[in-house]
Amino acid sequence: MQITATELSYIYNKKSKFATTALDKVSLQINEGDFFGIIGHTGSGKSTFVQHLNALLRATSGNLKIGEFNLSANVKKIEYNALRSKIGLVFQYPEYQLFADSVVNDVLFGLKNFHKEMPKEEQERAVKEAIEIVGLEYESIKDKSPFELSGGQKRRVAIAGVLVTKPEILILDEPAAGLDPNGKQAIMELLHKLHKSWCKTIVIISHDMDEIAENCNKIAVFHGGKVLLNGTPKEVFKEAELLQSLGLDIPTTAKLALQLKKQNIDVDCDLTVEDFVQKIEEKLQLIKRGGLC
Amino acid sequence: MLNDITFGQYYPTTSFVHNMDARAKILLSIAMIVAIFLANNFYGLLLVTAFTIFVVLLARLPLFRVLRSLKMILFITIFMTVFTVLFGSKNDTVIAQWWVFVITYQGIVNAVFIILRLILLVVTTSVLTLTTTPVALTDAIESLLTPLKWVKFPVHAFAMIMSIALRMIPTLIEETNKIIAAQKARGANFEKGGLIQKAKAMIPVLVPLLVNSFHRSEELANAMDARCYSGSKKRTKYKKLVFSYRDILAVVFVAGLITGIVFLNIPQFANMEILRQILNLFKVQVAW
Repeated sequence: MQITATELSYIYNKKSKFATTALDKVSLQINEGDFFGIIGHTGSGKSTFVQHLNALLRATSGNLKIGEFNLSANVKKIEYNALRSKIGLVFQYPEYQLFADSVVNDVLFGLKNFHKEMPKEEQERAVKEAIEIVGLEYESIKDKSPFELSGGQKRRVAIAGVLVTKPEILILDEPAAGLDPNGKQAIMELLHKLHKSWCKTIVIISHDMDEIAENCNKIAVFHGGKVLLNGTPKEVFKEAELLQSLGLDIPTTAKLALQLKKQNIDVDCDLTVEDFVQKIEEKLQLIKRGGLC
Repeated sequence: MLNDITFGQYYPTTSFVHNMDARAKILLSIAMIVAIFLANNFYGLLLVTAFTIFVVLLARLPLFRVLRSLKMILFITIFMTVFTVLFGSKNDTVIAQWWVFVITYQGIVNAVFIILRLILLVVTTSVLTLTTTPVALTDAIESLLTPLKWVKFPVHAFAMIMSIALRMIPTLIEETNKIIAAQKARGANFEKGGLIQKAKAMIPVLVPLLVNSFHRSEELANAMDARCYSGSKKRTKYKKLVFSYRDILAVVFVAGLITGIVFLNIPQFANMEILRQILNLFKVQVAW
């Protein structure tokens, strides 16, 4: 499913004196198969935007099409259940939304809401698959209370609760926030695994530029409710000065490339650590062969 | 869903009333309420009304903020007015009569009294909350409850609990909205079904909310411990409450108001002859 937003606007408290424009004519396209990154400050509109993709918020004006679903401002009737089972939305710190008495029941919640008529065995199978794909052991964890798990496990269970309906598009709001480096890495690995198997499109919001540069093939930068930049990491982070003037960080690789450029060494890489190191090595080889050292 | 709940509606500006001591404001608000009920005739009530308007002007509050607080008593006011006016006693001065409805002169007078008193009550308390920060309010309550310390009532702890509770209300509202959105994304439906089904639908919201609140209170308790907070020791205050000339002036004014009302309550000072005549005119017209 392809996501196409055209001139999408959203105004909070529309009729009151405190009306604030959270989204200002946002036009953005997210293709099927993208691992899409959204960056921007708090209050830049990125969270508001992703809530539109799930019809939790409805646009004040503009058009939004996701696959066969039309979520444009003028559309009244929406198949919420069909939409939300196909587009999974994982909020920030999803572990704070666990509520059931056991892990199984919590993961089952979404499934029961979306597919009431599904037979019990099938439900169980879907829950098992979801728990296993997030890297937890089904048998040992299924009857535990979600509240006695560790932080990382809780987050996995919460993600499993969204994955249980096998959404085609998975949207995550800062999936790695508050985790230690190992936990962050593990979550990102999980997302790549999902990208290859269950969810064709993944959209993440993140403040960690390294994470974004390392994992995403497309990026959009939100600022003041508008999409400021939009493209591949290489294209976007080329505007290092602009980003830094907005108080946004750039990836470590981009910083290093920038420093090297000042020394007249041009490293043309796609900003993942692996590619960066490779390009540097190539440069070194070249220099050695040319006998410049 | 919960965005329309406003609490701690403090309106920041500087005025005579804002700068008054919170304790004085609480006590004088109570005195004003007493005055509102003490006034048993139109002249007395008129005096209180004039005084209340004077206070609102003095506090430099925007009129719409004050009037907005009247919204919550709109329904009860209409309800009470309709009943008092329509169901009078036949023994009173009947103005008009139809089926079970009896409109009497006394009924109308009573209704006007009720409306005026309700409005004045709400405006008076609103002026208190609009001009006093929640923190100052709890400080003042703590100070006013000090005598209870003699009977071993934990006044300070009580005030602390109150201010923490006040502080947490917006946080909880924000969190509730977040959890509702998250559960909606998992297909929860809060609008469908009857009362029981709706109550059941709230479980996935209430459980995490409760769990998170416990976490938060534990964290807060630890943070307070880490800074050596102890309610039992004599603590100093960052913002001290001090009575000033304003408070004395205000006390004098309110005392004057109450004296005035007591005087007006004496029948010789004020009778309702004028109003009776106006209503008599009305009565003649209806009969005609």
